Amino acid sequence: MNKLLRNALAVASLLSVALCGASAQASKYEVKKPIKIQWWHAMESQYTPLIEKVVADFEKENPNIDVEAIYQGSYADLNQKLIAAQAAGTNLPALTVANTPYVAQYGESGLCENLDPYIKATKYDVNDFGTGLRLASSYSGKQVALPFLISTQIMFYNKDMADAEHIKLPSTWAEMDAFLAKATKSEGGKTTRYGTVFPGWDQWYYEPFYLNNGVNIVNKDNATTDLGGAKAVAIAKQLKGWCDKGEAYWAFGKEGSTTMRQNFIDGKAFSVIHTSSLYNMYVTNCKFKVGMAYLPGGTTRNSEIGGCVLLIPAKNSQDVKNAAWKFLTYLTGKKVNMLWARETGYMPTRNSVTKTQEGKDFLAQKPAFKAVFDNIDHIYPRIQHPAYSALSKIWMNEMAKVIIEGGDVQSSMQNAAKLINEALED
Amino acid sequence: MSNSSKLKSAGTKPARAHEPRYRSLEKGKDFLCVLPALIFFFIFVYYPILDLFNISFTNWNLIRDDYKYVGIKNYKWLFTGSGLPTLLKSLKITFSYTFGEIALTLVGGIALATLFSKENRAYSAMRTIVFMPKYIAVATSAVVFSWILDGQYGILNYALGLLGVAPISWLTSEKTALISVLILTGWRVVGYGMLIYLSAMRSISPQYYEAAKLDGANAWQRFRFITIPLISPTTLFLFVTTFISSMKVFQSVDVMTNGGPYESTNVMVYWIYELAFVQFRVDRAAAVACVFFVILLLFTGLTMKVSNKNVYYES
Repeated sequence: MNKLLRNALAVASLLSVALCGASAQASKYEVKKPIKIQWWHAMESQYTPLIEKVVADFEKENPNIDVEAIYQGSYADLNQKLIAAQAAGTNLPALTVANTPYVAQYGESGLCENLDPYIKATKYDVNDFGTGLRLASSYSGKQVALPFLISTQIMFYNKDMADAEHIKLPSTWAEMDAFLAKATKSEGGKTTRYGTVFPGWDQWYYEPFYLNNGVNIVNKDNATTDLGGAKAVAIAKQLKGWCDKGEAYWAFGKEGSTTMRQNFIDGKAFSVIHTSSLYNMYVTNCKFKVGMAYLPGGTTRNSEIGGCVLLIPAKNSQDVKNAAWKFLTYLTGKKVNMLWARETGYMPTRNSVTKTQEGKDFLAQKPAFKAVFDNIDHIYPRIQHPAYSALSKIWMNEMAKVIIEGGDVQSSMQNAAKLINEALED
Repeated sequence: MSNSSKLKSAGTKPARAHEPRYRSLEKGKDFLCVLPALIFFFIFVYYPILDLFNISFTNWNLIRDDYKYVGIKNYKWLFTGSGLPTLLKSLKITFSYTFGEIALTLVGGIALATLFSKENRAYSAMRTIVFMPKYIAVATSAVVFSWILDGQYGILNYALGLLGVAPISWLTSEKTALISVLILTGWRVVGYGMLIYLSAMRSISPQYYEAAKLDGANAWQRFRFITIPLISPTTLFLFVTTFISSMKVFQSVDVMTNGGPYESTNVMVYWIYELAFVQFRVDRAAAVACVFFVILLLFTGLTMKVSNKNVYYES
């Protein structure tokens, strides 16, 4: 009996130590005194009421935390300001958004706080995000950020025109020729309606065409590219061919995006390839029904994650980081996530939404998003390499130059590959 | 020693002993007056320049806290590595732009000063209108010009279209992008050139012109042989100041073209900015900035030396 009692007491004490330890861990990340924090974001003025509402709701639930939401311009602008603050070691935000390609760079440099201990201590359900989303916000096995406003490459098309003219959207790369021939209209040898528009100002938009046709943009050695190879040259030739025939055009330059949108809105383009996050913008501005089609595939039919993640700069004090974590979990929570998805063009990010009745309700509200939901398991993280920004600039310039100014595609792609190899090796 | 020399020395000795103390006190006061400005300059101008040289010998990536000295690695990259083609291309673009801006300022300035030299209210109003763009922020006017020069929706192409000219991809073609930036520059700087030249022209004595007229010189000859030589110090001033400012062009390029298309407007300062704040390679940016600093210094010195021989100073 004594032995039994002794054992029971030992187990009880062990359990209590373990529980105390766990609660001590959790309390380490609690906000204990009033604090004011800054949140940097890149959402333009049309989202200000939504941001104000979300912040006000959070502050109501967490009266200890006062959040100042600051718009810092585009993702690139925000990136510059964040790096400058990081270098200076002052005026860092408690929480910030970051465009998905920056995760690798930030993670490698130690700019972001490792969120794993926070996730463990507060039992945050990180597995409710899809695998791709988790990978896109982690670096070297560590969760250095969490998915926030997520989008992917998509083809927006004029649904009224498609229905009236029985235009079938392409599901494979091989169907592109027939699709463009049917979707394009011309008079007297001059194009009056483009079949589609390729966003040449950012290589992210046409990257899936290469990846799905088996081109390694960065080889496994991390130091070379296949962009000068036969497969890549063939794709570039096709893209140029469609532009030369007037069936598509290569939107380029600082106003490339604006002009492309306007052409679609004006009915001068049957379709455009853009980010799914702009769904609301197109629906609001177009006088016709807007459809969304998943990009045509080759040997695979994948797309890449765009948008932004949320991260906490590691140089902040623990008090600030705790408040930031509290706000981060609120922003990425299911309720707020659905609010973002409804009010913006970004996608719901949680499995508990996309695979439940809530997802169905969302689709009923935005039926065009079916193209994304049906392929959600084929949306992968972007290529992560420290020299990725250098690579993308070289590639983007060479593609635009050969398509708009003319020239030999093969030598242009080989020149791009040579420069990219130098950048990767460097 | 003679008596007179003794007297001289006796008379001057107290003054010599007293004057340096007085003067050194005055100099000390003068120095104290300029000391705040010197401290300001040292902290915000000279120290950063010195530190720039220091950084150019490190491997500092802005995103990292730590760095180490790597000797002349960044200069090797710039002069013998993959940085060289960009350096040469960027210098070529920068000098082309500078040549364009100087030509617009000098030629446009003289032309407008000659055109608007009359003194009445209408001309005064016209001079104000021509000069006003100088005081509009570069970024603001660059945004407006981006729209004016838009290939598809721009008003310039619309106007040219009425004359039967096919649309021109002003900002998205490498043939026209730098010209587009120069169009904005021209709009901004000609008024300034005009104003400076006007004041220079008005300071020329009318007697020269009257004498030349009596000698039978026509308007062109009077302009060529009187006006041009007598405004040459102003031309030198405008040349040097425009040279230095235009070599540092950044804002209009940043807003209108981002250094593109295909790096055709990638001027030196924009390249330095991109290395430092897009690629975060502060080490390389510092090396490029140091080289550019030396180039600017050399060219400015050379300009001063050459022009000193060719500029006519009336006095």
